[in-house]
Amino acid sequence: MSLSGELLAFVSLSLVAIIGGMLLINLSKVVHMVIALVFTFISIAGIYVILSAEFVAVVQILIYSGAITIIMLFGIMLTRHNDSGEPKASAARRIFTFLGIAGFAAAVYFGIYNLDIPVQPSALHESNTEQIGLALYSKYVIPFEVTSVLLLVGLVGAIILAKKDEQEGDRS
Amino acid sequence: MINGLLESSPGILNFGIFFLLAFVLLMVVLGFVTYAILAERKVMGFMQMRMGPNQVGGRWGLLQTIADVLKLLLKEDTIPKLADRPLFIIAPVIAFAPAFMVLATIPFTDKFQFADIGVGLLYYIAISGISTVGIVAGGWASNNKYALLGGMRAAAQMISYEIPLVMSVIGVILLAGSLNLNDIVAAQEDVWFIVLQPIGFIVFLIASIAELNRVPFDLPEAESELVAGFHVEYSGFRWAFFMLAEYVYLFAMASLTTVLFLGGWHPLPFLAFIPGAVWFALKFSLIIFVLIWIRSTFPRIRADQLMEFGWKVLLPVALANIFLTALLKELLKLF
Repeated sequence: MSLSGELLAFVSLSLVAIIGGMLLINLSKVVHMVIALVFTFISIAGIYVILSAEFVAVVQILIYSGAITIIMLFGIMLTRHNDSGEPKASAARRIFTFLGIAGFAAAVYFGIYNLDIPVQPSALHESNTEQIGLALYSKYVIPFEVTSVLLLVGLVGAIILAKKDEQEGDRS
Repeated sequence: MINGLLESSPGILNFGIFFLLAFVLLMVVLGFVTYAILAERKVMGFMQMRMGPNQVGGRWGLLQTIADVLKLLLKEDTIPKLADRPLFIIAPVIAFAPAFMVLATIPFTDKFQFADIGVGLLYYIAISGISTVGIVAGGWASNNKYALLGGMRAAAQMISYEIPLVMSVIGVILLAGSLNLNDIVAAQEDVWFIVLQPIGFIVFLIASIAELNRVPFDLPEAESELVAGFHVEYSGFRWAFFMLAEYVYLFAMASLTTVLFLGGWHPLPFLAFIPGAVWFALKFSLIIFVLIWIRSTFPRIRADQLMEFGWKVLLPVALANIFLTALLKELLKLF
């Protein structure tokens, strides 16, 4: 495998993604975790760009790094934002966890190493926004509509929950 | 030239060229920010029957901003003792970096553009949303109630106004049939979209002012109630970074408005002998002037009014505009 710009970009993006994910688990303050999560989301979007899935990448940033992160930050700050993580686990449990992780890593390594996915030439990378639109509104119209109904149900549920809170007054 | 470079094989030389070009753009943007601040102070001064800066650098105060920036850089860099130190340091960077990144897709003329990507418009909106994270993080890390309030308000406001902003440009996307900013400009060869999309333009202008946190929507940094909002505790060059982000967004948003609604570099009829860059600059300056004009003539609105206006007025109007545009497009197709 030669060193190309694509490989370099992939390695740096995946490093940022993995480090972000690890920080998310290891940091003690909740707000720091969310910021680490933002880095993971953005570098995953970068990997989508390398795979020339521009639309998915941009939507990933728009929805995950933008909207969802802000809502999470909002929720954390409005509740107990000084909450810190739990104390560390015992040594035996750590060793057990390490063994589990090593086993999982080995399983994934042997599973992926000789995996051969037949590559078919496809035109999915050309003007993929248009292709997504066409597929969504012609082939997958019914799942799309069902999703919108689901979202509507969620919206109505949120309104009902908010209404109930108001009736009880500021007893919280 | 850029497209040729993008398709060539990667190497140190290409990296150097890109780095140099980005550096030149950064310098241009910094120059714009310097004089935009001066222009804002001068125009607001004249509108309020004052002189504005007129001491440093001749009658027009041409060196005033430079002196201000020098003062900022020389100032002591304070970090509050109880602040969340790493977050406090990284927040201005998170707020500024996206502001500069969004400039990459904006086509200034038919030749002068950095990246011609298919989803340019969505890219702008998505990346600009990341700045909010920086602002909220800065407000939280300061460990100050005013800063936290300012940060929360910024988050609530930017989330609420991003939706009408996106909805108002859907009309433009429907008419142009593309998310690519170059195609959108090309579709305005004959008629600018401000003529075809007047409602969309007004909604976009209002929502963009709210996204830029400018008067009358400057609640995140409302001086009279929150001292300075999310950047109360910042000083020196960290504070300068927040300000810089704000003015770079002003630059980017005015460019985007020009591209989406005022036809980019396309000239008015019979005036095609003036080069495209000059046309872009003229339209861009007009938008900047209108934004300064709005700032000096409107009072700040209340937080609850802000939310109500965003969700109950702007969003339905933007949705109705999409409906109307789709209807008109289909009707025009029939004949």
